[in-house]
Amino acid sequence: MNGRTRRGYWNPYVGGVLLGILLFVTFFVTGHGLGSSGGVNRVVVAVEDLVVPEHVDRTPYLAEMAGGERNPLDHWIVWQVAGILLGGFASGMLRGRVRVETYRGPRITSRTRWFMAFAGGILMGYGARMARGCTSGQALSGGAVLSAGSWAFMLAVFAGGYAMAWFVRRLWQEG
Amino acid sequence: MKCPRAAYWGAAMLLLASGALALYGQPDIERKWQYLAGEYGVRLDDRSVYIDPAELLSLMQDDYIRLLIVDVRPEPDWNLFRLRYAERIPIEELPQHRARIAGLPANAVVVVVSNGEALSTRAWKHLMVLAKPNAYILEGGLNHWLDVYHQRKEQPRESDRSQELEGDGEPLRHTFKLALGDRHRTSFPDPHHVNPRQYEPKVKLIKKVVKKGGCG
Amino acid sequence: MMAPWDLVAILGDAGAWAVYLAIGFAFGFVLESSGFGDGRKLAGQFYLTDLAVLKVMFTAIVVCMILLFWSTALGWLDYDDVWVNPTYLWPGVLGGLIMGVGFILGGYCPGTSLVSMATLKVDGAFFVAGVATGVFLFGETVSGFSDFWYSTDYGRLTLPEWLGLETGVVVFLVTCLALLMFWGATRLRRALHGDGS
Repeated sequence: MNGRTRRGYWNPYVGGVLLGILLFVTFFVTGHGLGSSGGVNRVVVAVEDLVVPEHVDRTPYLAEMAGGERNPLDHWIVWQVAGILLGGFASGMLRGRVRVETYRGPRITSRTRWFMAFAGGILMGYGARMARGCTSGQALSGGAVLSAGSWAFMLAVFAGGYAMAWFVRRLWQEG
Repeated sequence: MKCPRAAYWGAAMLLLASGALALYGQPDIERKWQYLAGEYGVRLDDRSVYIDPAELLSLMQDDYIRLLIVDVRPEPDWNLFRLRYAERIPIEELPQHRARIAGLPANAVVVVVSNGEALSTRAWKHLMVLAKPNAYILEGGLNHWLDVYHQRKEQPRESDRSQELEGDGEPLRHTFKLALGDRHRTSFPDPHHVNPRQYEPKVKLIKKVVKKGGCG
Repeated sequence: MMAPWDLVAILGDAGAWAVYLAIGFAFGFVLESSGFGDGRKLAGQFYLTDLAVLKVMFTAIVVCMILLFWSTALGWLDYDDVWVNPTYLWPGVLGGLIMGVGFILGGYCPGTSLVSMATLKVDGAFFVAGVATGVFLFGETVSGFSDFWYSTDYGRLTLPEWLGLETGVVVFLVTCLALLMFWGATRLRRALHGDGS
């Protein structure tokens, strides 16, 4: 049986099972799930703490992570995010997918894609903090432990995406 | 999608596994205690969680300890006599306080009291299953407490031993003319007016593990 | 001893960090191997051309969920000690909507963008920069609406509690729901785009 789709990616069900097992092991060993946006958040706050520590101390949201002597990088999620980068790189290296390039829809230029990626990222970052988690932390992990808020969140993400999809189809679809 | 048969088998397995789970059910408190008994039952067997009344009195005076006295007795006994600052939580209501007890600070100590030991021990097991706090049991219960600290003219009623050993619901052996509740002198004995007792201190503060869960 | 454990107590700081690094490594590895370093594949979910997002996400949720609750049923794990994301209803929903729009605009989510950047994709890198910016902007503006951000706090609310059903029943229903979605979405995809991969 050939489980690969084109481009040699794993069959998504296989990937899902493996991810599910990984998620379970994570919960079992650590008591919590996975996460991504929190790691990026803490790195940003760490940089802020270097540059404008008084501002960090005065803003309650930031002070919680980095106020005073607290080190925002002293949190499991930072290590986990570092691992994601390494793991993604390793997997890419093994399949020869590490290359400086831009994935984009056929109708737009790379420039447009970069701008859109940046814009999408801003919304993602802002929304992830608003929701206290992203698809890894809230949807995946929160969903598996049946957190009501996580399921509501998941619904909202899909709703938002599908609602916008038609309007931005030029970014992704063929002519 | 290639090879759909494997996918169908997978789907069947998931349905089976989740269906079986629905039937088997999540553990209730009694079953959960079975799982935890190995680890926590030892403390009951070697009596390391039963504390002397004098130790409880010293905890009541200690400003640095956040003491939570959980009284699991029925209301009539509670009205007759209880310890100062005690909180009455019947065993069935313990689950409702789960979050609060699990969120107690690192300097918190919980002491479970009843008239004797049977009811308080059962409540202690439930507490450990629910929230795993730093919890102890008053040795001999309030009957013993009153034996030690109650200055009275008459001797207390002779205890009906068989009644005490018979599961929950041991009676309060001491009689009171008025239901003073916690306004009794013995509810918080003045340490200057009691004979110092020798006891083996068993209460230890445990380091609280802060769960840093969530996406940052 | 019943799981979950206190890693730092058992392994010390460095040991715990190593475990998290390994977990993240496996996470990134699986994501990249499933093709989630490619924004086009991810965006395809919203045009029903590529259902990988749905399949991976919900298969993972169902598998993990079944393993988790079976472990609790057998006494290996204590679900009460497991971190369940607290429910802040409206901030969660609003954040989710914003993220949905961000997803279809940028083609990634924070986790997958990291994977994309790790394989040197320029669009992934721009996305990560965007996430950092968005996160920064949030930190600067949240005090303006912190009342909202802390509102509708239902605490550790689980689906079984909310629905008033037994946990096992909810697990079974979620499994059925996921399988139904796989079947339905696949039919829909075939109807819209013909039989592709």
